[in-house]
Amino acid sequence: LKEWRQMRLLVCLKQVPEPESLFDLEQGRVIWRRPFRTRMGSLDEFALETGLRIKDAFPNTTIQAVTLGPISSSGILHRALGMGADQAFHIVTEDEQDLRPLAVASALADWAREGAFDLILCGAMSEDAMQGAVGPMLARLLDIPWATAVSSLETSQDASSIEVTREVEGGNRQILELPLPCLVTIQSSPFQPRYPALSKLLEAKKADIPAYVLDARSLPAEPEHIVRLEVPNRSRAGVFLEGSTIEKAVQLMAILRQRALL
Amino acid sequence: VNAGSAHSENGPVVVVAEHRDGQLSPLTNELAVCAQRTAEMLSSEVVIAILGEQVSEVAQEAARTIGHKVYAVKVPGLKGFHGEAYVKILADLIPSWGASAVVGGHTTSGMDWAPALAVDLHATYLAGVEALDEDADGMLFSRAGLFGKAQEIIKPKANPWVITVAPGAFPAPAGLPEHPGSVELFEETSQKCRAKVIAYKSAADQDLGLTQAQVVVAGGRGIGKPENLELIHRLAGLFSRSAVAGSRPVCDLGWLDYGSQVGLTGAMVSPKLYISCGISGARQHTVGMRGSDFIVAISSDPAAAIFNLADVCIVDDLTAFIPALLDQAERAVH
Repeated sequence: LKEWRQMRLLVCLKQVPEPESLFDLEQGRVIWRRPFRTRMGSLDEFALETGLRIKDAFPNTTIQAVTLGPISSSGILHRALGMGADQAFHIVTEDEQDLRPLAVASALADWAREGAFDLILCGAMSEDAMQGAVGPMLARLLDIPWATAVSSLETSQDASSIEVTREVEGGNRQILELPLPCLVTIQSSPFQPRYPALSKLLEAKKADIPAYVLDARSLPAEPEHIVRLEVPNRSRAGVFLEGSTIEKAVQLMAILRQRALL
Repeated sequence: VNAGSAHSENGPVVVVAEHRDGQLSPLTNELAVCAQRTAEMLSSEVVIAILGEQVSEVAQEAARTIGHKVYAVKVPGLKGFHGEAYVKILADLIPSWGASAVVGGHTTSGMDWAPALAVDLHATYLAGVEALDEDADGMLFSRAGLFGKAQEIIKPKANPWVITVAPGAFPAPAGLPEHPGSVELFEETSQKCRAKVIAYKSAADQDLGLTQAQVVVAGGRGIGKPENLELIHRLAGLFSRSAVAGSRPVCDLGWLDYGSQVGLTGAMVSPKLYISCGISGARQHTVGMRGSDFIVAISSDPAAAIFNLADVCIVDDLTAFIPALLDQAERAVH
């Protein structure tokens, strides 16, 4: 067996609502309807899977999963342990504290500086906010190189660098080599994230996850804030067909014929 | 990481052009539209910056087709897009130009350099902006949040701002500008970057039938299982010159080839008819199809964001609705 120096990976995870969760907007704020279900961000799951594949190839690797969010988001850390992360850490925020990307990146940077990680993995964006800001901000705060929207990653034989493929517009790809330490944000790929093994999940559920409460005073002033949320404008007619399935099918046929599309 | 020192409330609004292989991306014109409206609200002007090793021709093209003042920033060794190089160069130039805002695309390149540049400039980062507004204290930015099901109205603090613009949100005017722009050359020294570009690979086998089809039937995660793709194919079979497409998750799952992917990292299509089946309507997908002439959306989620840009909306289970539709089509023939 080859001997590598130990690689330390940090995977940043975010809890997001289930995409089909129902909500109301009241005075510009979101009120989730019950039952309110959440999950690990789907691209964060791909980021964790990328880390686990590195560990499969280089067993001398440790993976730490970290999240920043309310107490209720610890579930995704249990899941990360179940999937195969070695450690988990929770930076706890207040329930209604909706931090902007720079604050999230700053808190993660404070944590990452302590850990001397070789590689930091994030999802390319969260599917609810779709900003993709935390990864590049975190890289810049730590002054390490980065690559975003990466769909495949190869570690060099001596674990000193990685070669990544970035997905860019129109199905084109850019291939980059980055020295470690560095940060990569992960796009989805054919490597579907693994399911946690039941035995590991049961073990993980019992695990006591270390946590600390984020001190908001330690963060930079928020450079922007959400004034309110609004119902999106419809860009088109958006006619909802009514009736039974067959009635709707009849109506659609009529519309397509009328427009000479069929 | 150095602080942006000089910037002013009515300094220029700088568009960072997207270009590749000597070609200006059409998106740059959309960025200029958003920048122009921002500049009007700030009583300032628009500047288009083009970064690269060989930029003079692209800069002339931008001046001719978009207008404004164009800064051709010549950087030895910068052959294509490089996030780290862009951030270092812009972090140097933007304060020297006293810019109030920097505008890029909410694209795979813009999303790579813009948030990082915001850190260097101590700037507000506004991601995926779709509309501009103002209140008594200044500008407001609207962007999609909550899976595209709500618009976030965001107020930034003082300038500078780093903005990425959602493709398709600020349509470019047709034709050439009334006043062509002028080009000014800037010479930058080459940048030492830790990340090294090894290669650039063009899309291998994009389905040409897809961009030329008059009818596109697209399946998303909501189709549930690969067996249900047959329904999508049969639906497409009702139309001549039709093609089957998919959202990114469906291609990742291997249910369809990546050549059939519509969206930010796939094909951009604008057929006469687009039928979306089980697609939630995340912006990464809709940027690739929002220009279609007529859009029919089928989804079991009544709040799906796709319905906001559809002409006809059908809330139903695909596996019930598509067979019913096929059945109606068959009856019509007999």
